[in-house]
Amino acid sequence: MWEHRCKVAVSGVGFSKVTRSAEIPLATHALEAVKGAVADSGLSISDIDGLATYPELPATGHAMVDGITIVSVNCMMAMLKLPNLAWHVQVETVNIGGAVQQAANALLAGVCKYAVVWRAMHNPKGTYQNLPGTHAAGATQFTAPYGFGGPGQGMAVAYTRWLERHNQSREKMATLAITQRRHTQMNPHAYFYGQPLTREDYLGSRMVAYPFCLYDCDIPVQGAVAIVLTTADRARDLKPRPAYIAGYGQRLAFEVAGRIGSLSSYMEGGRSSSSLTWERSGFSPKDVDVAQIYDGFSASVIYGLESYGFCKEGEALDFIQDGRMELDGELPLNTFGGSLGTGRIHGLWHIIEGALQASGRAGERQVKDVDVSFVGASAPIVQGTTFIFVREPY
Amino acid sequence: MLARMSDWSKVTRPIPVPNELSRPFWDAARQKVLALQRCQACKHFQHPPYATCVRCMGIDLKFEPVSGKGAIYAYTIMYHAGDKRFAAAIPYASIIVELDDAPGALLAGNLLEAPYTEAKVGRRVEVIFEPLNDDITLPQFRLARGA
Ligand SMILES: [Zn+2]
Repeated sequence: MWEHRCKVAVSGVGFSKVTRSAEIPLATHALEAVKGAVADSGLSISDIDGLATYPELPATGHAMVDGITIVSVNCMMAMLKLPNLAWHVQVETVNIGGAVQQAANALLAGVCKYAVVWRAMHNPKGTYQNLPGTHAAGATQFTAPYGFGGPGQGMAVAYTRWLERHNQSREKMATLAITQRRHTQMNPHAYFYGQPLTREDYLGSRMVAYPFCLYDCDIPVQGAVAIVLTTADRARDLKPRPAYIAGYGQRLAFEVAGRIGSLSSYMEGGRSSSSLTWERSGFSPKDVDVAQIYDGFSASVIYGLESYGFCKEGEALDFIQDGRMELDGELPLNTFGGSLGTGRIHGLWHIIEGALQASGRAGERQVKDVDVSFVGASAPIVQGTTFIFVREPY
Repeated sequence: MLARMSDWSKVTRPIPVPNELSRPFWDAARQKVLALQRCQACKHFQHPPYATCVRCMGIDLKFEPVSGKGAIYAYTIMYHAGDKRFAAAIPYASIIVELDDAPGALLAGNLLEAPYTEAKVGRRVEVIFEPLNDDITLPQFRLARGA
């Protein structure tokens, strides 16, 4: 087991309003979320001395404009003018989960006391994937000429392989979409709050990239979320009950850029990240009381459930049936609605919900008697990270 | 679902830009030969081409012809014009092919000369060539004929 388990905790969490597309500069959303997380902790902005983010803009073909389409560490430093700032980082390889892990490491190393991590996501007006070019260079030379234009297709091809090799049917995914949407109705920050979804809606919806229909894809939105991390000792003196990080891991496999559609590499990414997390925390899948698994595209949840070890390969769509993923089920899943409910904010919202469930702060959607809360913060191979939060240090 | 052919006639495909690593692939394709990068030390084929052998760290890599026969590893059928350049062909099948000669080296393509509904995991395909201009010819796939 990891000697540093339960020595860092998530304290406050914060949310901006989530809108369909950009009405105000993205920095405004990020600031709202960061201020919210700091206030939730009972801290002042001037207490914050560590900053971390992953600022990538997933809408391809749009300019990265700091404060407008991305919110970098530099942008946040300029806005907050932190008098005690001591440490910051902007991660590259493992998405926003990597930023959370780096902040935890900085706290463990004693180089900062209260770190803020945010994820701000821009949705440009007009076309999300802006692909007007007449040429395809770099990694896209082997994919774009065949109409592989976005990340959804990469996930979709792995999904057809999964479905047909395991003789499964995509209709079973309706359970995931409608259960998560039901959970969304208990999360007022979510984009689809107030908008239920029925099985008939799912089964009748238009196809986007077979096997993905509209409701298998998270909706691009403009918004931000943030968390405050601190050491366990300091967290106990703050207002909210802490959610202790019992262990974490990250994807250890990478594919040659431009290679797409390899289901086996998705699985390998998830296995490597979760193995580290199980070893470090000393827990196994059967100990988990509630799970958040990244669902930018619905099939990510399949690869997560199977590669993390919650069920066997080929069984994930059966596993989620019969109420098993409901709040009172065997493995309550994506209890905040997931990205399919909140809109596309990547994995930090999954981490937030994992922490809220561990600290008993999830309100109406709180799962009973949570001791061990699991998070798969991004799709297994697409920059995957995993976490376990616990209610009590052990 | 009514099986029909995708209409590629109005699609202007983005033209691949060869680089230091990929130029031999595109030079071969222009001659209607499918050639993949192969490690001369461990004989592993890999695609897309890379600076080193991702299996053994070998640096002696050469392009060698492969048969162009294989099976559909995975596929998707596009119904959404996320990429406007392909709007006219919707719905169309984008496929990933695993070649018999080069297990693990996955090639992207479209399923041509067949209704898009014919795309299925495991179905046998063979390479064909689609010239885009004088310099660039695109390897593509159709259902395998004969043995
Ligand atoms: Zn080799």
